[in-house]
Amino acid sequence: MDNIQDKLARCFSLAFPKMDPGQYRTASAENTSQWDSMAQVTLLSLIGEEFGIEVNFEQFEGATSFEALARQISEICAGA
Amino acid sequence: MRLGEALQIIQQATGDRKRQIHLLCSFTPLHFATFVKAYSSLRFPGDSISLHTGLYGDLEGNIQRARDVEAQGAIAVAEWDDFDPRLGLRSSSDWTRSTLEDIATQAEEKSSRLAAQLTGLAEVMPVTVVAPTLALPPVTHLPPAQASAFELRLNTILNDFLREVCKQKGIKLLNASYLAITSPQNARHDVQMDLSAGFPYTPPHADALAQLSVDCLFPAAPKKGLITDLDETLWRGVLGDLGVDGISWSLEGKSQAHALYQKVLASLAESGVLVAIASKNDPKLVEAALRRSDLLLPPTNVFPIEVSWGAKSDAIGRILKTWNIGPDSVVFVDDSPMELAEVAEKHPGIECLKFPSDDPKGILALLWQLRTRFGKQEIREEDGLRRQSLRRAAKFVEEVPAEASADFLARLKAHLTFANCAADHGRAFELVNKTNQFNLNGVRYSEAEWKTKNHQPGRFLTTVSYEDRFGPLGKIAVLGGWMKDDRCCVDIFVMSCRAFSRHIEFQALQQLFAKSGASAIRLQFRPTERNGPLQTFLRRFFPSDSLAEGELELSAETFAKSCPPLFHEVIFSESD
Repeated sequence: MDNIQDKLARCFSLAFPKMDPGQYRTASAENTSQWDSMAQVTLLSLIGEEFGIEVNFEQFEGATSFEALARQISEICAGA
Repeated sequence: MRLGEALQIIQQATGDRKRQIHLLCSFTPLHFATFVKAYSSLRFPGDSISLHTGLYGDLEGNIQRARDVEAQGAIAVAEWDDFDPRLGLRSSSDWTRSTLEDIATQAEEKSSRLAAQLTGLAEVMPVTVVAPTLALPPVTHLPPAQASAFELRLNTILNDFLREVCKQKGIKLLNASYLAITSPQNARHDVQMDLSAGFPYTPPHADALAQLSVDCLFPAAPKKGLITDLDETLWRGVLGDLGVDGISWSLEGKSQAHALYQKVLASLAESGVLVAIASKNDPKLVEAALRRSDLLLPPTNVFPIEVSWGAKSDAIGRILKTWNIGPDSVVFVDDSPMELAEVAEKHPGIECLKFPSDDPKGILALLWQLRTRFGKQEIREEDGLRRQSLRRAAKFVEEVPAEASADFLARLKAHLTFANCAADHGRAFELVNKTNQFNLNGVRYSEAEWKTKNHQPGRFLTTVSYEDRFGPLGKIAVLGGWMKDDRCCVDIFVMSCRAFSRHIEFQALQQLFAKSGASAIRLQFRPTERNGPLQTFLRRFFPSDSLAEGELELSAETFAKSCPPLFHEVIFSESD
């Protein structure tokens, strides 16, 4: 899980370059103004690259926080 | 490049000169914009790249509006749904036969409007046009293995459109065949992303398309010279072992890769690229081998030929000296990694490419690499003159080893032609962007910047051509500037290194004084790492000043005092 969180943090650093790294793990679409639908697409594409997984957008629907994304990735990786 | 790398490049870019680029498409540009920005940042490391994208679903309007926003260039991508939205996956319209008929009619009309808009845009900035990169959806009743009349009609409309836009100066069409090498057709369309976000490309396709689009819009300055090895490179076999008839470059000799390489070298030489040989060999044997009538690279297109048993790096040093160009303008091809490493160490900046003598598949990649390094927009008269003038220059140097005497220069019977030229003069633009040693300030220009600068009212732009009893050198110098009161301000002054030692630079300033009637010339000087010869020239007039960046005022009096006797016959031409 730690490894997943570190890799996900790297995706956040690229998708949200202005965000303070200390805030990645508590970030969500609700508390991050730059996190719009386009940023979500970029984030999911970065996740696809970083974790080497095929990202199905429907699978990630509603995953709009760091925590929820990490949980979803963890499930996909466990099932792989 | 991966999306993460592209974002990292963008975040790390720290340029301060603003470079604006239009990215014109009707889909959400998303990752495509990211890749275009990243490749543009790599292409122009000192620039801050700003991309202008337009409105979703309105390619025509986006092209039209781009005319009003100044930029250094535009990339316009037209997918099939830009010719008619019903050709895209996001349309809810049917694909019945009557609809298809209407689609074709609409596509024809739309293509005419797009061509007109692109033509208008190309009047104010360079434009790269990308024809549809995604396959047509299955719209007809025919099985997919069979081409339909509808698809053929659409392709005819598309080809007519592309032929029309390609006629326009300032428009370059992205090479679809080359794109297919880096981005296979079946790996381009991201249907999920297309339907959910309006972005139709997979990241690898967006990456490949962005890279080629930027390369097409802002091509890197081509390299000037290629130095090739002989054994196992220009031909198969070791000449010293096999003899003149034992070496080969043919299908029969299982050495066709070398024939392909020779053909590309001959083509490069024809386009003005300098080609030389550096080989560890017996000079007499090489001479005999180069006389073989089946050679595809005519030896007359090669100069100089350095054959000895000494170090390759020494031979290359001599070739660079003869060419009078720096190693960073040169590519060296050899089959031996050891030789490549030795040369790279002695001549930092030279690009060393391994000839894939043991890998037949690698030859095509090498040939594409050579076309990438040496590709140019057009072949000019000067390209044909370059090699001949270098041979003559070698003869010239033999006759005049050091500073030419006045008597010798008088006997040259030299003619200089000064011609006013248009703002978009191709040779002037090329010379200013590739000249290093005799360049007043080293400033490089994009096509749009060049056009804008030289269209400013009151500016002059003059080319200088040279010919003497050794033959013509073609257009070898450019002067540009403007008048301010009784001063002539010059911010463009470049001369090809092939024209050194003939006092052309003095004559250029003398004529500038004479024609403008100026009491002084103000030179907008900037020292660069490479413009030493220009600085030596200036030292003659400013011996005690430190030559720092800024304006140097050269009075007519100082010039007259320090100018050597000049013997050129000067001709003026109103237009070039």
